[in-house]
Amino acid sequence: MGIRSDTAGHEKKYLLDMLPSQCDRILEIGCGDGRLTWQCAEFADALVGIDVTPDTLAEAVRQRPQRFRETASILEASGVHLPFKSDSFDHALFSLSF
Amino acid sequence: MVHALKETHRVLREGGSFIDLRPATKNRLVELDVSGTRFHIGEIDSSATFADHWAADAALESLRDQGLIAPMHDAQFLVTTDLDSIEDLRAHATTLRRSVMAEELPDRIESLIAGEDQDILIRTRREMVITRYRCLKP
Repeated sequence: MGIRSDTAGHEKKYLLDMLPSQCDRILEIGCGDGRLTWQCAEFADALVGIDVTPDTLAEAVRQRPQRFRETASILEASGVHLPFKSDSFDHALFSLSF
Repeated sequence: MVHALKETHRVLREGGSFIDLRPATKNRLVELDVSGTRFHIGEIDSSATFADHWAADAALESLRDQGLIAPMHDAQFLVTTDLDSIEDLRAHATTLRRSVMAEELPDRIESLIAGEDQDILIRTRREMVITRYRCLKP
């Protein structure tokens, strides 16, 4: 018995095709449980994931690979009021947020 | 939605990119894979989310009209979820926000696969859309 999502890896492939091979700072809005967050983090100097659902954020933090502890962070925040300075990110990802 | 997009625009630097990844405004398809042959069985109703998508499209168009973003690339692709049993399908359905599986669908699948000794997989297919925009700061 089991559930296997995106066995072909299409979501990761198409997302990474849209990102430069090396990014500076990425903001992910609607990061949820971090399903895509940690894949993007491979290509970023720094990454911040935000979401408004505490339970899924806790799961995202739990799944954060050790190697990203210095470069990637997860925050509870709404996309309507982003707690960041202007011009502070190079890329923003809205993932399933609508 | 316009407010969230304008906030995103504010924190992006000039020339940065904005990537919008979300499902297409279509229902998930439910299929049976019987020894490699696919059979369409039904759909999972996602129509409750469509109005939000159309509002997002309108908000993005507004930003385009204001010269704040410019489309660069877009693509569509399928995400499949493989499920080994009716119980897995029911469990999967409970994780889908604002999408509804008809109550009779699992029973229908159960009756279709009863007594079959071939390899059978239950599969959902969801069409996704990804678009990359360049951030402009006129």
